[in-house]
Amino acid sequence: MRHLSDGTLRRIYDEPLALTSLDQAHFDGCTDCKARFESIANGARATATLLSVPGFTPEPAAALRSVRIRIRTDEAARPPRWYERWVDRTSPRWQPVARPAIAVLLAGALLSGVTATGVAQGWFRVFEPRTVAPVQVSSSDFPTAGALLDYGDVKWLPSAPTLQQLSDATAAAGQSGLPVLMPASLPKGVSGPVSFGVVSHATGSLTFDAERLRASAAKNGVRVNPMPAKINGSKLVVNGGPALLEVWGLAANTGGTLAPTLVIAQTRVPTVDSTGATAAELEDYLLSQPGVPPDIAAQIRAIKDPSTTLPIPIPKGLATSEPVQVNGVSGILIKAVLGAGVVWTKKGVIYAVGGQLTPDQVLAIATSLH
Amino acid sequence: MLHAQAWQPVVARTPLDAIRQRVPDPFERLFLEEYPKVVAIAYRVLADRSAAEDVAQEVFIKFHRSLSPDSERAAGWLHSAAVHSALNVIRGERRRAQRETAHALDPAQPPAANPERLVEDAAVRREVRRALSKLPQRTAALLMLRYSGLSYAEVATALGMKVGNVGTLLRRAEDALRKEVNRATPE
Repeated sequence: MRHLSDGTLRRIYDEPLALTSLDQAHFDGCTDCKARFESIANGARATATLLSVPGFTPEPAAALRSVRIRIRTDEAARPPRWYERWVDRTSPRWQPVARPAIAVLLAGALLSGVTATGVAQGWFRVFEPRTVAPVQVSSSDFPTAGALLDYGDVKWLPSAPTLQQLSDATAAAGQSGLPVLMPASLPKGVSGPVSFGVVSHATGSLTFDAERLRASAAKNGVRVNPMPAKINGSKLVVNGGPALLEVWGLAANTGGTLAPTLVIAQTRVPTVDSTGATAAELEDYLLSQPGVPPDIAAQIRAIKDPSTTLPIPIPKGLATSEPVQVNGVSGILIKAVLGAGVVWTKKGVIYAVGGQLTPDQVLAIATSLH
Repeated sequence: MLHAQAWQPVVARTPLDAIRQRVPDPFERLFLEEYPKVVAIAYRVLADRSAAEDVAQEVFIKFHRSLSPDSERAAGWLHSAAVHSALNVIRGERRRAQRETAHALDPAQPPAANPERLVEDAAVRREVRRALSKLPQRTAALLMLRYSGLSYAEVATALGMKVGNVGTLLRRAEDALRKEVNRATPE
């Protein structure tokens, strides 16, 4: 039988019961291992002497009082959070727009984290986009069962964000903290009053839970890769918004369907922070799930710096994309059958212009915003 | 020479079952369970009671902002944060010598049978902390977590490594520390 490793011998100096019966039998009859053990034990004893410190008895109750006072002081000193200022006056008419937008934001952020910065075991900023990149998707890419999987506890602080409709520009700017941007002129076909929508700054968290994922997969009859222990219990915190939408053409739609002729949108870049698992571990795990189409995973992995790049989904077969410059900043021009759009990001804000327009028209609007 | 004593945990612990039964608040329960370990880790690194208590409190405040006390990662997070925070203190510490002197005269410590030895011990501890600050962070963290009384499983959890690797890395860390100390104080 092979001799015991130095690591095993070191461990049995501290934890003798960790030795298996087979190893114990070898150790008992092996003078070589015993001699090495003695040398390792001498080293451990010498180190213990070097690292010895006088004893003391901690006082947890007193320390807890101090920590409670510090926590209360910090809480009192911080500015009010978004939800403490937030007056929920959401119009039901806007909800169909707001909810998918938030879901896309979360999904995009979850699929995009990588290259953590910061201190190990602390909070990592895993996502803070400074540029945009297209990712081709098709409706068949996301099977219904996969979309319903429950990866863990999602919490909004204190509740999921909703959209507030406003009638005038001053109120919209004041509510969002973003300037209302107007094109130099409106193209033919775009007319009528402009509506404003504001999504307040929102904070959401996802705490990964292996057991919930297992149960959810079993319930939906789909196979998932088991959640690694390091990811289980990790938390992602997504900060998004505020966002400001300017929409033309809603007033003409009395039938209740949303078919705006022009939308100008801007939002502060979302950020994602993680504690626990590193961003690389999260990306590897999430992208390797059976429900994630390999070509989407490959496209996201191919993004040069996913932690600072916002993937823009381009529906396969319905739209194409190409790089474009908007006043000297790189963006994406999206061409579809029924319309066009352009997305770019500058100085911590993501901008989008789109509608039932030609690519030239949306570019003209984008470059003339003021 | 340094006052030789066999290594043993230097911080008295409170029975955990008693805490669990009588404390309903999860953060308070976690605090009472883990504070003795967290402060022991910081103290083993810093050899300074007051500084260790400061580090331990900062670690819990940071934890309160970041994680749920019910998280199964809570203990590992706290141990890791304690050792890294304390190691960061000694790495950036420029007034270590002053604090060691103050520590040697700390009235909270038991009276010294031999004042000369106390001063000598403080000098050796200072030298050992200097050596520690020169080791790679992970090596120093492993060493200090183990010598703070954490089990091999707890060390592995805190540092995100396999339990089976702790023994090997610990032995190497011990060799590295002794080598670093001997380099500065040749016989």
